[in-house]
Amino acid sequence: MKGLLVRSSVRHLGRHPWLTGLSLLGIALGVAVVVSIDLASGSALRAFERSTDAVAGRATHQLVGGTTGVPEAVYRDLRVRPGAPVAAPVVEGHVQAVVGDKRTLTVLGVDPFVEGPFRDYARGEAVGNVSTLLTEPGAVMLSARAARALGLTTGDTLPVRLEGLEKPLRVVGLLEPADEDTARALEALALMDVATAQELLGQPGRLTRVDLRLTGGEAQERAVAATLPQGLELVRAAARAGTVEQMTRAFRTNLTALSLLALVVGMFLIYNTMTFSVVQRRGLLGRLRALGITRRELFGLVLGEAAVLGAVGTVLGLLLGVLLARGLVELVTQTLNDLYFVVSVRRLALEPFTLAKGLALGLGATLLAALVPAWEAARSPPVTTMRRSTLEDVSRGRAPRLALAGLLVLAAGTALLSWNTPSLLPAYGGLFSVLLGAALLVPWTTQFLCALAAQPLGAAFGLLGRMAARGVHTSLSRTAVALAALMVAVATTVGVGLMVSSFRGTVVSWLDTSLQADVFISPPSLVARRGGATLLPGLADTLRDTPGVLGSSTLRVANVRVDGVPTDLMAVDFSRTPVRPYTFKQGDPETAWRELESSPDTVLVSEPFSFHRGVGVGDSVRLATDQGPRDFRVLGVYFDYGSDVGTLLLPRTSYERWFDDRGISGVALYAAPGQDVDALVASVRERAGDTQALLVRANRSLRQASLDVFDRTFTITQVLRLLAIGVAFVGVLSALMALQLERAREFAVLRATGLTPEQLWGLVSLQTGLLGLLAGLFSVPLGVGLAYVLVHVINQRSFGWTLQLALTPQTLVQAVVLALVASALAGLYPAWKMARANAALALREE
Amino acid sequence: MSNGRGLLVGTAVVLVGLAAAVAFVTRERPLPALRQGGTLTVANAMSGSTEGYARAVEPRDFHFPEDHGPHPEFRTEWWYWTGNLETEDGRAFGYQFTLFRNALAPETDAAPRDSAWGARQVYMGHFTVTDVAGGTFHASERFSRVALGLSGATARPFKVWLEDWETASVDASAMWPMRLRAQTDDVALELLLEPGKTPVLHGERGLSQKSAERGNASYYYSMTRMPSRGTVRVGGTSYTVKGHSWMDREWSTSALGADQVGWDWFSLQLSDGSELMYYQLRHRDGAPDAYSSGLWVPPEGAGEPVHLRREDMKLVVQDTWKSPRSGGEYPSRWRMHVEKLGLDLTVTPRLADQELPVTVLYWEGTVGLEGSRQGQPVAGRGYVELTGYADTQGPRRQESQARGTPDEAATQAPP
Repeated sequence: MKGLLVRSSVRHLGRHPWLTGLSLLGIALGVAVVVSIDLASGSALRAFERSTDAVAGRATHQLVGGTTGVPEAVYRDLRVRPGAPVAAPVVEGHVQAVVGDKRTLTVLGVDPFVEGPFRDYARGEAVGNVSTLLTEPGAVMLSARAARALGLTTGDTLPVRLEGLEKPLRVVGLLEPADEDTARALEALALMDVATAQELLGQPGRLTRVDLRLTGGEAQERAVAATLPQGLELVRAAARAGTVEQMTRAFRTNLTALSLLALVVGMFLIYNTMTFSVVQRRGLLGRLRALGITRRELFGLVLGEAAVLGAVGTVLGLLLGVLLARGLVELVTQTLNDLYFVVSVRRLALEPFTLAKGLALGLGATLLAALVPAWEAARSPPVTTMRRSTLEDVSRGRAPRLALAGLLVLAAGTALLSWNTPSLLPAYGGLFSVLLGAALLVPWTTQFLCALAAQPLGAAFGLLGRMAARGVHTSLSRTAVALAALMVAVATTVGVGLMVSSFRGTVVSWLDTSLQADVFISPPSLVARRGGATLLPGLADTLRDTPGVLGSSTLRVANVRVDGVPTDLMAVDFSRTPVRPYTFKQGDPETAWRELESSPDTVLVSEPFSFHRGVGVGDSVRLATDQGPRDFRVLGVYFDYGSDVGTLLLPRTSYERWFDDRGISGVALYAAPGQDVDALVASVRERAGDTQALLVRANRSLRQASLDVFDRTFTITQVLRLLAIGVAFVGVLSALMALQLERAREFAVLRATGLTPEQLWGLVSLQTGLLGLLAGLFSVPLGVGLAYVLVHVINQRSFGWTLQLALTPQTLVQAVVLALVASALAGLYPAWKMARANAALALREE
Repeated sequence: MSNGRGLLVGTAVVLVGLAAAVAFVTRERPLPALRQGGTLTVANAMSGSTEGYARAVEPRDFHFPEDHGPHPEFRTEWWYWTGNLETEDGRAFGYQFTLFRNALAPETDAAPRDSAWGARQVYMGHFTVTDVAGGTFHASERFSRVALGLSGATARPFKVWLEDWETASVDASAMWPMRLRAQTDDVALELLLEPGKTPVLHGERGLSQKSAERGNASYYYSMTRMPSRGTVRVGGTSYTVKGHSWMDREWSTSALGADQVGWDWFSLQLSDGSELMYYQLRHRDGAPDAYSSGLWVPPEGAGEPVHLRREDMKLVVQDTWKSPRSGGEYPSRWRMHVEKLGLDLTVTPRLADQELPVTVLYWEGTVGLEGSRQGQPVAGRGYVELTGYADTQGPRRQESQARGTPDEAATQAPP
């Protein structure tokens, strides 16, 4: 008996190879998108962690300072004191190789003699190399792999670029770590002596930090901390480890959620396929029941089919996912580099856990989607003459109840969304509830709309028009699922599309208010959205004195610990301009600016900062200044879309009061009235000379450059959106094709009663067109709803940004067109097949 | 069923195709072969050329206390203290405290650097304590560059230091006494050193020729019996101790010839108030080199030191000890006979395993001696250094004691 069941399954699936193939493709695409995103962002993060781990070594504690690090004398004093703790100096930075694959290298400047307790690879395994490393300026050691990729070997010159300056290094030795993990971690490392690193990064006298191994517990911790001069702080290494993970969490969660949307669409597809196969076989199932097959066995049969489909589809999806990830990893890396930190990902980390997760997700989703059809199959009464029409009656009768359930789910989703919590999980729960609720509303709405559409369609196309409309209505069990799948898929693309365009619109208007100067000058920086690079000393003044300049301001971007968390601090010198290009969300600009200038312990914070740290006007934040920890009062919250982790702003005078750093990261010039901006750019370039390659940009081009970065950071989102569209397309194709194929006999009857092949074409096209139109229309309000949730709930909670939702008609029209095109294509094959089919043969099959 | 087979075949083909594509994109891409280039070898860097350094070619005048200070124009130099100490109740300790100055490149052609860390000289420190009664030997090694005051040496006031290991004049205005201070996680030593006898010059008025080539020589003097007192801490216990130290000072640019593989060096303090220094340079085949040399220092006020040449010394190895660590086989008992001094001694290590598991493996430890001089029985203590017996770049380098390296015990348990 088992054999019979299995054979019947195989035969059924085999009889509809296109449908089976499409549903496999649907699962595969859904799983592929989820897996690829997971792999890509995981690989990027892992690469970053590996390189930070390798650089951090086995330190238990780190001694850190203000914006310019730790004075080296502090290290010396620590080291020569009797009973000195185990310590090692570290100078760290980033440069970009100018040869080979132009990779970004992490500069690690160490003292090889004291590296033993911290980093095995850095203690100069070949003692001989140490002397060259120490005595030869510019001497660097690379891992053998990095050297190969850069096309270099020992003795070669390695030119690197940093803040617009090109400097030559010389490879004096290659590191060949014995184990694979270390070898990978070192792929982007330039190991050098402290002296060379200080000279290369232009910070003689300063260390980035001092690594310590304190094994004497808290007593030793306190003893060391007690001897530190003002402005230095002893932090536990473990405390710093999680910051990267935290910083990028929102970014990664959103990518994952978007990828899950693709899987949800895939689930609808499975549901559709399985329902279809059950409906098609109702007769057979009834006969099987009559033969004594139990309900449980039928239930198992359908689930078993789903499991096989799911397994094959998921394996396909995993493989496809790895391929996709290979492409996506570049995009994710680019985005992370633009937004957060310097990371270079050399290869995909194929984590077994990620793959297992994809497998479980794919199989789980398939089985879940097949539950309802399986249950329906099990309910088949043991008769041989069960008719479709009965099912459709049931289905139509059920529509209002489903609609009611849909409303309830929608209400629950809305409640979840309006729950005031910073957590993202309820927000996503709400988002998916809204999708499900909307899907449940589809049958009833369709019924209603089809009844409405019958009249005008009848008027336009006569009998065929009415038949098309009623066909949708009468085969509701099939059409509703297909419609829901199509709607969810299209709505997703609408929602994401609107979210991106709203975001962009907000950024554009923010750029308009915040970029008011005429010329901007800055050295190139490795992380596009943060610019910590400095101008050569004295250059800023030269540039500000360019003839034709009415006013100017300077900006310093430095990293400082605020309440223990490293944060970008912007020190702005407004002394030569009355313009304050900031818009306040909270606080009174007039008084805030005045007080900011007069009292040195006040700051402004950006909106995301205020959101993430729960800090508002009147609260205070603690900055680790070079004069020791200081409390600063927050005078205002300004809009800023440059950093999603948040920034602080304070006047240059206050900055110089508390910090030793005198660097300048950028200069903004306001042209005198009548001064031609292009001419000003030219004369600024001339004054800057060619010692440092600077970015000198007129307002317009900086604005464009900023938008380019913005667009680049959203490329990955756009790609995801396209992938979701792909899944949706496959879904619609298979759903509608199934629908039409299933009506083979009905069409045969029509042919037999005199319908010409052309008329049949028309009927099928009209019907699929109607479905496409309906789906397109349904998806518009749902898509707008999704966009609203994404903009005002998800983005707000992830990044703390206030965005203006903007409805771009273009996106909406696109959605309807997409639905129509997909459905038109879906109608082609069935219509062609029906038109060709021998009506008599089709009829005889009964 | 044909359609079913089509589906099956199609799916299988797609699966295989995808799998192949995945294998293709995730394969380890063979990187372009490493181009052949000049390699930087240890020999190049360490023994580099002697150009740019001063050489010890002829006797010079020694001036004290200036010559206690550094001579940076030479490539290597060391301050070498060894000594045998005892508590009131006779618990015996031996110690070695050495600071080696090593130039990585001559100072003469140095271009100024922006970073204060830029250095051309480094100090290496070796510090050992032998707890004779406890049967333990504690050795550690340290390096530091001459920069930022992390290590260095000055003549006036006298100070030579490597981080928190140092020997310095107690009072900046006077050379003597000196205080020696060194500590690791498990042992510590603090000693006050008095000069004792005046410095003695080795070789030809302080020029100690090590091989035939001109310039393969060092300037070498010793202070052979320095009254010392202070404290030794071993484990958690501090002991008040006193005894005698021996200070060796030597600087050179090149010393050993190509066929010389190591040396056995003795510094012995005899109970009759005399001291004996003898080093025997060894050939690859174990034969003593003609440039082996020594000096006998008579008791205070009893005449001039006597120079010893290889022919004057009859040195017979009576026993050996094989290091379980390095596999090196070291002499472990000597019979020493110097006809012209009427000296007959048996020298025995007070602990077999006093091998230093440091960058360059060697054995250096406290020894006891007994025998007779001019027919009178003598006893005494001393230090012996044995180099070139174990593989110098052996696999055991891991044991080298860098401060704080995890999971490495500083104590070498006796075999």
